[in-house]
Amino acid sequence: MEELGKIHQLIVTVSDYKMTFNLDIIAMTWLVIIGLLIFGYFAARKQQMIPGTLQTIGEAFVFQFYSLTEDALGEDMAKTYGPMIIALFMFLLFCNWIGFIPHLYEPTNDLNTPLSLGLMGFVIAHYAGIRQKGFKKYIKAYFDPIFFMAPLNIIGEISKVISISFRLFGNIMGGTIIVLVVSHLVFSLVLPPFLNAFFVIFIGGIQAFVFTMLTLVYIAVQVN
Amino acid sequence: MMSIEIEAWVRMAAFVGAGFSMGFGAIGAAIGEGFAAAKANNAISQNPTYSGDIVKMMLVGQAIAETAAIFALVIGVLLLFATGGNASMITAAGLLGAGLSMGLGAIGSGVGSGFPAGEACDGLSRQPALSRTLTTTMLIGSAVSQTPAIFSMVIAFMLMFVNFSGGSPHMVAALLGSGLCMGFGAIGSGIGSGFPAGQACVGLARQPAMGSRLTTNMLIGAAVSQTPAIFAMVVSFMLMFISFAGTPVHPTSAALLGAGLATGLAAIGSGVGSGLAAGSGVEGWARQPTATGNVLVIMLVGQAVSQTPSIFGLLISFILIFKGYPSTEVFLVSTALISAGLCTGLGGIGSGVGNGQVAQTAVSWVARNVEQEALLMRTMLVGQAVSQSTAIYAMVISLALIFLV
Amino acid sequence: MIEGADLIQAAAFLGAGLAMGLGAIGPGLGEGMVGAKACEAIGKNPSEAGLLTRTMLVGQAVSESTGIYSLVIALLLLFVV
Repeated sequence: MEELGKIHQLIVTVSDYKMTFNLDIIAMTWLVIIGLLIFGYFAARKQQMIPGTLQTIGEAFVFQFYSLTEDALGEDMAKTYGPMIIALFMFLLFCNWIGFIPHLYEPTNDLNTPLSLGLMGFVIAHYAGIRQKGFKKYIKAYFDPIFFMAPLNIIGEISKVISISFRLFGNIMGGTIIVLVVSHLVFSLVLPPFLNAFFVIFIGGIQAFVFTMLTLVYIAVQVN
Repeated sequence: MMSIEIEAWVRMAAFVGAGFSMGFGAIGAAIGEGFAAAKANNAISQNPTYSGDIVKMMLVGQAIAETAAIFALVIGVLLLFATGGNASMITAAGLLGAGLSMGLGAIGSGVGSGFPAGEACDGLSRQPALSRTLTTTMLIGSAVSQTPAIFSMVIAFMLMFVNFSGGSPHMVAALLGSGLCMGFGAIGSGIGSGFPAGQACVGLARQPAMGSRLTTNMLIGAAVSQTPAIFAMVVSFMLMFISFAGTPVHPTSAALLGAGLATGLAAIGSGVGSGLAAGSGVEGWARQPTATGNVLVIMLVGQAVSQTPSIFGLLISFILIFKGYPSTEVFLVSTALISAGLCTGLGGIGSGVGNGQVAQTAVSWVARNVEQEALLMRTMLVGQAVSQSTAIYAMVISLALIFLV
Repeated sequence: MIEGADLIQAAAFLGAGLAMGLGAIGPGLGEGMVGAKACEAIGKNPSEAGLLTRTMLVGQAVSESTGIYSLVIALLLLFVV
């Protein structure tokens, strides 16, 4: 059980403010980014009419999520936000699946990763809303349906960031804990690898999709 | 006065917690599996030729619905054999809280994941050719319904294995409150995320062409229905990890317990309510594939309004946690603070479910009659605002209890 | 040391919280049902929307009365008794 909550940290003190860097998480995140870059390079290097394996996988990602973005935002805005949505999903999927390789673990297992991605989605959604509707109409939406609902609407918007990031974090962390406990109970006999596959591949995939779709929906709600 | 050693209290708390964990945890899974079996019997009577496939589907669905109860069993067994760290009342409270969190938290997911299992059996009797897609949709739906139970388990583990025993005496109340908050908070969202999952299986059998888009809408709807459970998880984390060392033990302890109850109980109604809206959103997509955008918008608005009571609960919890209190040994201040938490928590249940019912009907009629979208949206918002008034009364009474007493 | 008067006052506070909390469940559910049926009726017959909205509001006001009774009792328990 000691593995729970053990983490390598680098603490930098700037005057009297302490900054904490979780080194393991940063390393894992960079591993994911480098992996994605390599995948992107090889998938796009030789584009052919009859695609190879990598190009097929890449096209599947792009096509699926681009059409989902078109559904939600319409053709014009899909050009702007489509690439971000596709990249977000691929990043999250790689983040969640990297835990399947022994000795590596998910950057999403640390609250900082989902929280910063959630904040990013929040800022993008509100920027899109202001750009699409103009500042006046954007502010007016907070006083809907009645003016004194404004504080609740603002809390509701902020709670979206919390809910989207804690959902991903809780699911991934829950999976890790379950696998850990079952391995302790049955001494790594047969069961843990299957459980690990279920939580990492299946739940990880679903939660990456949910996070991406919710970011998309939040943008769509602000824009309309 | 009989004197009992601290070690004995810790053992007692662990045993009672194990009982709560498995006792409460068995309720939901049993109901969910019963629903699946009932639907399967019905399905076989409609289409006896495929009885073998239907029974197989039922067994797979029931196995998934049992997951939450198995989590509860694991926590229960660990509590029975946990030797515990340092013997103190805080450890005892943590063990009891862990049992409550997991036991109560398993109820919702058990019931919720029964819905997709049952509806998939029903769908199989209508469209036997779809057996494979139905199984996939059911598996995804049941897995998503388990999320609140997974949250409860995360909290239960932290309560059991993080060493709080060096903390201030408030931690006894804080840990109990944390367990209760997550346990109650997971009930509504667990049941609620079962509705869209079930409707996705129904819709798939009606409109097989909508398959993957129904799954998308189901995932969005179920994820939004889980927001109240996430509020509860956030409050649980706050109760565990914020240090109250400088504050007076009385009445802050009571305030912390009240904070757990407010968010936890209020989340029940909002979870079920936003699940109702999500379910009819999925149904609407299957019924009217051309109106998916309009249905999605009104579903999300309806869900957001249904979650207002749980935001009231969150508000009261924050006030209870962060308001400073003068030290007092007077018993009635503590009572007032606990009852403030209970009042907003219980008061939010009805409004949350009620708002969900309004949203459910409005969403399903937008799918049938898209031209009247604006009118229906207006009526829905007015109806929901009025049915929220009782939750607002409850919040007013809570505020009076906190600030005037 | 807990005294009798303290205990009575504490019971009044707990009673106020429970009265309003439990009392709010019923009207919340009931008004939700009214609102749901009104949405259904407007979906079927949009031309009568004004009449239906008025009827809905009257129905909700009536079903809210028990919630208001709870509020009155809670306020009495808090400030008068």
